[in-house]
Amino acid sequence: MYLTLGNRGEHLSKPSDLVQGTLDLLLLKILALQPMNGWAISLRLKSISGDVLQVSEGSLYPALHKLEQEGWITAEWKQTENNRRAKFYSLTRLGRQHLEKEAANWSRLSAAISYVVRLEEA
Amino acid sequence: MHPQHWLYTIPLRLRSLFRRRRVEGELNEELQFHLGQKIAEGIANGLSPQEARYAAMRAMDGLEQRKEQVRDVWRIHWLTDFVDDARFATRSLSRTSGLTAFVVITLALGIGMTSGTFSMVDALIFRPYPVPHPSGVVTLVSTTHDSSFDNFSYREFLDIRDKTKSYDGVIANADMEAVGFSAEPAATPRIRGGMLVSANYFHVLGVEPQLGRGFRDDEDQVPGRDAVAVLGPDFWKREFASDQSVLGKTIRLNGTEFTVIGVAPETFPGMLIFGHPDFYMPLAMARVFSTDRQKNFFEDRDDRELNVKARLKPGTTLEQAQNELAVLTKNFESEYPKVNRNRGASVHTQFEMRTRADDVNWKFGVIFVTLALAVLLVACTNVAGLLLSRARSRTREIAVRLAIGAGRFRLIRMLLTESLILASLGGLAGIAIGYGVVEWFHSFQNVIFMTELPLSIPFQMDTRVLLASLALAALSALLCGLAPALQSTRADLVNGLKSADVDVPGRKRLWGRNVLVVAQVSTSLMLLTASFLMVRGFQHGLRDGTGFAKDHLLMTTFDPRLVQYDAAQTQRFYKLLAERVREAPGVQSEALTQNIPLGTDDFDGVAFVPDGFQMPDDRENFSSTMDTVDEGYFETMGIPILRGRSFRASDTAEASRVAVVNQQFANHYWPRADAVGKHIRLDSRVGTLVEIVGVAQTIKYQGGTEKPMDFVYMPLAQHPIARMTLMLRSNGDPLQLIQPVKDVLRTLDPNLPMLHTMAYDDYYLNQAVKGPEIAMKLVGSMGVVGLLLAIAGLYGLVAYNVSRRTREIGIRMALGAAGSDVLRLVMGKGLVLVGVGTVLGLVMGFGVEHLMNSMLFNAGGVDILAYIIVVPSLFLVTMLAAYVPARRASRIAPTQALRYE
Repeated sequence: MYLTLGNRGEHLSKPSDLVQGTLDLLLLKILALQPMNGWAISLRLKSISGDVLQVSEGSLYPALHKLEQEGWITAEWKQTENNRRAKFYSLTRLGRQHLEKEAANWSRLSAAISYVVRLEEA
Repeated sequence: MHPQHWLYTIPLRLRSLFRRRRVEGELNEELQFHLGQKIAEGIANGLSPQEARYAAMRAMDGLEQRKEQVRDVWRIHWLTDFVDDARFATRSLSRTSGLTAFVVITLALGIGMTSGTFSMVDALIFRPYPVPHPSGVVTLVSTTHDSSFDNFSYREFLDIRDKTKSYDGVIANADMEAVGFSAEPAATPRIRGGMLVSANYFHVLGVEPQLGRGFRDDEDQVPGRDAVAVLGPDFWKREFASDQSVLGKTIRLNGTEFTVIGVAPETFPGMLIFGHPDFYMPLAMARVFSTDRQKNFFEDRDDRELNVKARLKPGTTLEQAQNELAVLTKNFESEYPKVNRNRGASVHTQFEMRTRADDVNWKFGVIFVTLALAVLLVACTNVAGLLLSRARSRTREIAVRLAIGAGRFRLIRMLLTESLILASLGGLAGIAIGYGVVEWFHSFQNVIFMTELPLSIPFQMDTRVLLASLALAALSALLCGLAPALQSTRADLVNGLKSADVDVPGRKRLWGRNVLVVAQVSTSLMLLTASFLMVRGFQHGLRDGTGFAKDHLLMTTFDPRLVQYDAAQTQRFYKLLAERVREAPGVQSEALTQNIPLGTDDFDGVAFVPDGFQMPDDRENFSSTMDTVDEGYFETMGIPILRGRSFRASDTAEASRVAVVNQQFANHYWPRADAVGKHIRLDSRVGTLVEIVGVAQTIKYQGGTEKPMDFVYMPLAQHPIARMTLMLRSNGDPLQLIQPVKDVLRTLDPNLPMLHTMAYDDYYLNQAVKGPEIAMKLVGSMGVVGLLLAIAGLYGLVAYNVSRRTREIGIRMALGAAGSDVLRLVMGKGLVLVGVGTVLGLVMGFGVEHLMNSMLFNAGGVDILAYIIVVPSLFLVTMLAAYVPARRASRIAPTQALRYE
């Protein structure tokens, strides 16, 4: 079973804001680990999450560009290992601050949801 | 966190806008890279390159859509859409260049007239006083029992100033008046405009002189003691070339020496609408400038010559000031019952003063603005009609766009962009026309203000007017474009795509446009006819001639009251002047007259009873226009004496009273007898007896196109007048006589100024020719504007019809109708409208002609020539307007029409 994030996600019924915010969080975290290009990000996310989280291309690039517009990540054209040119993104200081804030929010939110879901039914 | 955000985001956004190609290329490259990696992954998983590619493409779900999404994030769509719309609109507009030109011209006319009028209304009503915090300056007026506004007297001003608490200063000024000015003692004085003001005038208004100082309070205390003056900024520039040494200089005003103590700043041309005072003097010096010997300016409470203004204290309302003033005037009424009975006073803001119902400026402004807005409304209606017809012919295109997913709002935006472009073009052209209108207003200056006073027309296209005009242009774009845009994007897709005959609009809707076209045609016909008639009548008048010799005449006016002469001194002056000037070199003959013929001043009237006449019961006397002249008048002016004699030196004050009448007068009262030797009595049956000694030829007195009128001349020696004009006939150029006259004047009184010195020829040209010319141009241009609008309206109407009936026309032609049949079909309605409009216009034109005949011209009956020329021309032109779109209709190939492209 895998969840797909983005507008191919018919399995989901979350409001799009929440999905978008969560995607931002994931992308920022991945980039916090290491600067990389869009393709590498989607691979990484898939592998780290054990194939649960797969970003569709339709959501990945708009999200990346939005993060860039907001000033949380910055981009640079570099050579890959195969000597091809690609656009590498990395986290900015602002982005790091935002990531910490969003991560904290997510912890609180997910803890609350988990708590409610695990309540014993009478 | 936000400001830091911007440091990142703004350069990025700008980059997306301005380095678009580069950014797009990068995006493409980024996505291509991703695609490449995905294909590589597919191949690595065992798919063939072909399959891998397909899989990758499918997974990416379309590159273009991804790009669009990213572009959405960049959020530059609104701008790129606009640029695209604009480019598309320009292309499609240039395809229908004829209609576009029409629309632009129509809009330009409407906006041009309105912005010209804005400039006028701004200057007359809205422009604030050129002082700091102008809204705090209020005007105080004295009111009579019938609520008309009046000035205050000096004593009243002092009382208001000292006894009220609502103001931070109360000032007063007299009207700007003609003052004889000379900078050097030996120079002949020239007339400039001076204004008497209270000492605190500049201080209270907040005006800081750019040089020197304003008046001190003590300089206005004692009448006649402190002869100081402050110069106006323009005057200082013109007269003294901005020389700083003017401070402390002595100048002569009406013969009295004044010291210049300051110059007003550039920002303060004066508080008047129509003029800029050349210099300011303290009220205490009023005696030097008053010509009214009867009243004492400083003492008489009913010598009301002062405008009073004040600054409201902060925190005081207008109402409080008003109440305080009411109490004060009640006291005036009880203390001075004779002069202040039923008099009140009130306080008003500048805006209230400018918009009084009885104020001429306000009335003018309202009329002009109404006219201009009417023109604009008509123009907009025409344009909307033209755009509607254009929109109709694009139904198919719009339906297709709607079908492939364009939002309705998006389409409306696209259509409105078109209107915006039209409005910009029209607005720019309109502003150019507006400048022209203002220039045209300025050209009146010389005709209306034929004095040496510094009067000018202040209408200008300043920033406020320009902004208002641009806003108007944008608004009209919205108005004109909205209706067609809304209507044509109605989601009637099926019909649109099927391109069946589009819905027949209700009869009612077309009715309005029909009426409009008829109204425009008839109005422009009437205006054009009227101006034609005016030209003809004017030419008649000119052809008849004036009756006297206009050439080689110099004229100059004197008013010895300006240098404080009394009656006896005045008469002695004129006697000596006439004697000496006669001997001057180059002078063929001289004359003195009270009023020049065809002048701007009204003639005096004389009331009389012809001796021995039986007066009808309801009248005590008859009246006639008159003039006061000396012995040389008739000879100098070339007016023949038909019977009897003209005045002689022997017609002195002690001799028996005599008069000369004109032929019209003689025929009027003694049709079968000789008027010479008859008598009239002045004022009543028992008034002074005056003998008629001569009959002069009737000339034109007041206007070139007047009917002959009664006229009486009286000799200067027996009917003394203070202000007389000297007319000199010269052998050569009349302007050569100016110096000899100055020489003579210097021997008599070097302080007396010469007013309105010019050759009579030049004056006549300006007055009698240019004036009516301008009136004719006004009416004529209104007619032309009306005609242009009518043409546009008609064109639009016919084009609309064509676009509505294209399919029908195609069918008819396929069934065998000839081009001429189609022509007739389409033009038929248009012709009917023009015909109706012409008939209406003729009727109105007859009415106008009748009016003009009774007022101005001798010509009886109808002037056929005007109609013969104007009516067919109008008809032809409007026909052409209808013909062009109709012709296009007749040329439609049936197959095209049926396809309804």
